[in-house]
Parts: sequence; C-alpha cells; structure tokens
Amino acid sequence: MTADAFLFWFLALSTVAGGVMVVSLTNPIYAALSLAFTMVSVAAVFVTLEAFFVAGVQLIVYAGAVMVLFVMVLMLFDLKHEVESFARGKVTGAIKLLAAGLLAGLLIGAILYSSSGELGSSAPQAAAQIDSTKTLGYRLFTQHIFAFEALGVLLLVIAVGVVALSRSKGGTHGKH
Amino acid sequence: MGNDVFEITVNAVKLIVVFLLMVQAVPILVWLERRGSAFIQNRFGPNRVGPLGLLQLLADAVKFITKEDFAPDKAIRKLFYAAPVFALIPATLAYAAIPMSLPFMVPAFEMLGSTWGPYTFRVQGYEIGVGIVFILGVSSLAAYTILMAGWGSGSKFSLLGALRAAAQVISYELALGLSIVGVILLYGTFNLTEMIQAQQGPLQFTAFGHTITSAVSWIPNWGIFYQPIGFLLFFAAAFAESNRLPFDLAEGEAELVAGFHTEYGGFKMLMFFIGEYGHMMIASGLATTFFFGGYGIPGITPDELQQIILGWGFSEAGAGGLNSLIHFLSYNVKFAIFLWIFIQVRWTLPRFRYDQLMDLGWKTMLPWALANTIATAVIIYAVS
Amino acid sequence: MSEMPLGGIIFLTIFIAIFGTALIFLARAIGGQRKNNSAVKRDIYECGIPGQDKKESKVSVKFYLTAILFILFDIEIIFMYPWAISFRDFIANGMGTPIMISMGVFIAIFIYGLWWGVKSRALEWD
Repeated sequence: MTADAFLFWFLALSTVAGGVMVVSLTNPIYAALSLAFTMVSVAAVFVTLEAFFVAGVQLIVYAGAVMVLFVMVLMLFDLKHEVESFARGKVTGAIKLLAAGLLAGLLIGAILYSSSGELGSSAPQAAAQIDSTKTLGYRLFTQHIFAFEALGVLLLVIAVGVVALSRSKGGTHGKH
Repeated sequence: MGNDVFEITVNAVKLIVVFLLMVQAVPILVWLERRGSAFIQNRFGPNRVGPLGLLQLLADAVKFITKEDFAPDKAIRKLFYAAPVFALIPATLAYAAIPMSLPFMVPAFEMLGSTWGPYTFRVQGYEIGVGIVFILGVSSLAAYTILMAGWGSGSKFSLLGALRAAAQVISYELALGLSIVGVILLYGTFNLTEMIQAQQGPLQFTAFGHTITSAVSWIPNWGIFYQPIGFLLFFAAAFAESNRLPFDLAEGEAELVAGFHTEYGGFKMLMFFIGEYGHMMIASGLATTFFFGGYGIPGITPDELQQIILGWGFSEAGAGGLNSLIHFLSYNVKFAIFLWIFIQVRWTLPRFRYDQLMDLGWKTMLPWALANTIATAVIIYAVS
Repeated sequence: MSEMPLGGIIFLTIFIAIFGTALIFLARAIGGQRKNNSAVKRDIYECGIPGQDKKESKVSVKFYLTAILFILFDIEIIFMYPWAISFRDFIANGMGTPIMISMGVFIAIFIYGLWWGVKSRALEWD
C-alpha cells in the first residue's frame, strides 16, 4: 500500500467513524464534538484532493465557526441525554431502512459514475492547476458574480432574521 | 514528508523539535513575566532559586508535577482530562507553519554505502502553500478546548467563563481575519515565505509605473510601512485571541473566579498555560512575518549576506548553514521583542469590562479593519 | 504532498496527543490520587456557600446571537480572501474596475449588515 492510499483510508475511516459517532452517541455534546471531528477530517480529505483553500475554509467556517456555535448552544440549553440512540418502531424503522438504502444507492452510483469515463480522466487536469486559489477567485468574480452578490444579500437577510427572532416577545432580552 | 528515509526522519524530528521549542519557551516566558512584572511594579520577583531566580522554572515544574491529580465529582471526566491535551494541539500546529529562517541546504553525501541528497530543509515545521488560511483555521479550533474545559468541569463558573471566552475569541477572530485581508492584498499571496521574500531589500513604493526607492538604504521594505492600521488591528486582536490582559475577561477574578479553568490544578493547569503562551507566540511570529520582514535583516538581503560569509572562507554549504543561523537569530530577536510587548502590556493596562470588550471588537475594530481593507484596495487600484 | 504536508500535520497531532496524555498519566503517577476525600473537597468551587449546579444557572441569549452573527460575518470575510489574493492579477488583466465595483457592492452589503446589527442593539451587552 502506498503512502497516499494509506492516508486516504486513514482519513476516510476517521471521517466515517466520526459520522457514525454523531448518530450513535446519546449525549448531544459528544455528538456535536464528533461532528466537529468529522468536519476536520473532511478538511484533511480536501487537502489530499489538493483543494488547499477549500480545506482552510472548511476548517475556519465549519469546524471553527458553525460547530462552535452548535456546541455553545448545546451548552446554553443543557439538553438531557437521549435514552437510546435509535427509536424503535415499525414505521420509523421502515423509513430509516428506506433512507439508508437510498443513500447507499446514491453513493454507489456516484462512485461508479466518478470512476468511469469523463470525470476520471479530467481529475489530473484539475490537479495540474498551479494556484487553485487564484483560479477560484477568477471563477468567482467572472462566472459566478451574481451568485456571489446574492450570497451577500442572503447573509444579510439571515442576520436580520436572527436578530429579530432573538428579540421577539418572551425572550430574556425582549423589548423593554 | 519526504522522498527517502533520511528526509522523513529529519522532518519528523524537526516537527518534534518545533513542539519542544514551544514547550521549552513557556517556563522561560513565565520567568520573564514574573521578573518583568516585578521590575515594572518595583518588586524583586522570584530571586531565591538559582542565579536571578532562573531555577525557579525547574522548581515550578517539580511543583506542578507533584500536585495531586484531582477532578471534582460533578466533572465529566473524559472532557475534563481531554481538554488540557487538546489545548496544546491548535497552538503547536499553527506555530509549526511559521517560517523561522532561510532553508538549510544539505549537499549530497555518502552514508551506509549509498548516496543521499541533496536535501533542502526548511527551518519551520512544515511549509504550507495557503499558510495564513491554515493558521487561522487551526487556531480557530482553540475555542473547543475552552468549551470542553468549561463544560467538563461541571461548575457554573467554568461554564460561564468558557462561554465568555468563546464569545470573545470568536468576536475578535473577525477583526483578526479582516485585518489580514489588507496584508493579502498587499502581497498577493497566502504563503508566509513569499511574504517574507517580498519584504526584503530597501523600502520602495511602486506608483503609476514609477518606482520610488527610499533615499536611506537601510530602511527595510517592511509591511508596517504599508499597513500601519492593519498592524495595530492585528496585534490588538491577537491579544484578545490569546486571552491575555487587557482582554482576559474569561478569567476576571472578581466575577468568574478563574474562568474556564477554575477547577483545574497541577499539571493540567500547566498545559492550559502552554496553550495560552503558544497563542502568544503565534501572534508574535505572525506579526513578525506580516509586518516586520520575518527572518529578514534590515539593510542586507540573504544573498548579499551569503556572499559576505563566503568571503570569510566558508564552503558553500557551511556558509548557507551560518546564513540560516544568523537569520534564525534575527527572527528570534523580533519575536522576543513582541513577546516582551505582550508582557509589558499585561502589566501596564487595566482590564476591560465585558461590554467594553465586545464594543471594541464589533463596533470599533471591525469598522476600522473594513476601512483599512477598502483603503488598501483603492490605493492599489489607483496606483497601478 | 508538495503544498500541504498532511502527513506532517497528522504526525504532529498524534505526537502531541500521546505526549500530553503521557504527561497527564505521569503527573497522576507522581502526584497520586487520594481515595477518601471529603465531600466538600470533591465539590465544585463555590465561595463558602453550598454549590449551585450549573443546570440551575441561566445564560444570556446574547452568546447565541454573537456566535451566529460571527458565522455570518466570518463567511463574508472568507469570501474576501480569494478576491484579495487575485486582485493584482485582475488589475494586470485590465479587469480592475468591474472587480472593484462588484467587491464594493459586497462590502456595502457587509457594512449595512454591521450597521444594522449595531443599530438593532443586538451587540449591546449590559
């Protein structure tokens, strides 16, 4: 096994292990910390794909901001332990099986598609880009400029919504 | 990490050395801080153990390691014990990415019957293309340490301290991240080594197609002359990131006892200390790299110095090694000055109130950092 | 592994984790743990009165508000990074003006969001 293959399997297994822990742990704080671990592993996987800037963004935004918010909020509310990690019931069980089957089919399809034909041959070409961040900046400000500006507006809308929600009546910091 | 056994071994040893360098610097800094604060407050400080109290470091370490290992009943033991270990990781990972000197060339040599090399070893843990983004990302993980410690202690003081500290760290991360945008605009790269190379040589401005070189040749081409506001914002935000006075609201004794490490003692406490001093070192190293030419020496470029050393009769490899060493010293002088500023400020300024702290971060530093970014962009656009 | 030495990073992380854990166990071995501590010693810190559980203490919603506003502004700042790194290239390609304007619009939205956040007293701590 080469070093690259070893690295890939190591990261893939730790990502999946983190993901399994998120759903199987009964303590919400541990689940959130596992999700943070999964995010960090995904950032490492991005590095193996030579998407360095995206890996950094994954660390800053997902692991360093979104998951910190989750952990902070869980600590604020002090949720109780779940009694068991999976609810038992015929209907919910069927739904779960269906969802798991769909996801498995999607994954297998994606793997088969990506390992055959066009996508497989275009991968080395993408990796040959000298400075992927500059390419990203170029693409972002030429082809996707509208999406970029729309994102700014979307973030503004979210900020307004969050502030409005937290100030609604009944909160600890309602209007005086 | 390398192409053959020798290179991989050297790189692995180098990583461990960088880590130990960081850990070793902590007792020295603690000594400096105690002696320095005593000096500032007209006291003696530790002066009994060894000459100038230098062996106090050793005595402290012995004291820390012989303390009883204690966890309160209400603590969540897994998190309580994991948090101090995690405190070391983000600081070290980020510090290892800061270049400390010129690359060190090893010519090809014979060993164990085969030819090895030639190699180039960088005087830093690892070279990272997107240096700044990596350092920001890794050090943003430090918030987990704080939250884990605060929650795991099972004490309300710890939890409140942890929430405050986390809110403070993330608030100032905005100002920190935005103050760096000006730096990236200036150098056009994320790579720390390339930034240092851009700062070599005498000060010169390029405007409207002309290059104006400073009349005084020893004034270096440092970032501080282009980004003075950016430097101030970066350094102030770095103080807040490392949870030190005047921003140590997380452990305001009068309100929160000792913040998120209220329940910690002995060696676990020491590991939080190492993490805190590690953040101080990252801030100092980054300030040196962004604004003060990194390992560069004012008035002389590495190539010129190499020629001078070669003139002293060294071999090519020996001169390169000596050159690296001199630049390493240059880096450490700047680094130490910043660390001293951290200590001096801690014992000079009073602590903020929490609302003042948040106001400073969100309503003062963030707008100024935005203004700095816009001004930098407009100037770059206007002059080219 | 030219641009980002992942192996080195993982190696260092694992090394520190082992090193730190070993130190904690060493400190436990040397410092020892007393078995029969009194209930007062085993309790969490409180200034002399019976300890209050953390579950009974209320925490301000401001922490949540600060954290989520942080995420939003953090994402906007992250989007400035690829712009900052390629700005000189854009100017060199003669595309400086449109990029300047589009980033100006984005920063204007940013400033409006910040101004609104300040005006709505979402960032006031009392």
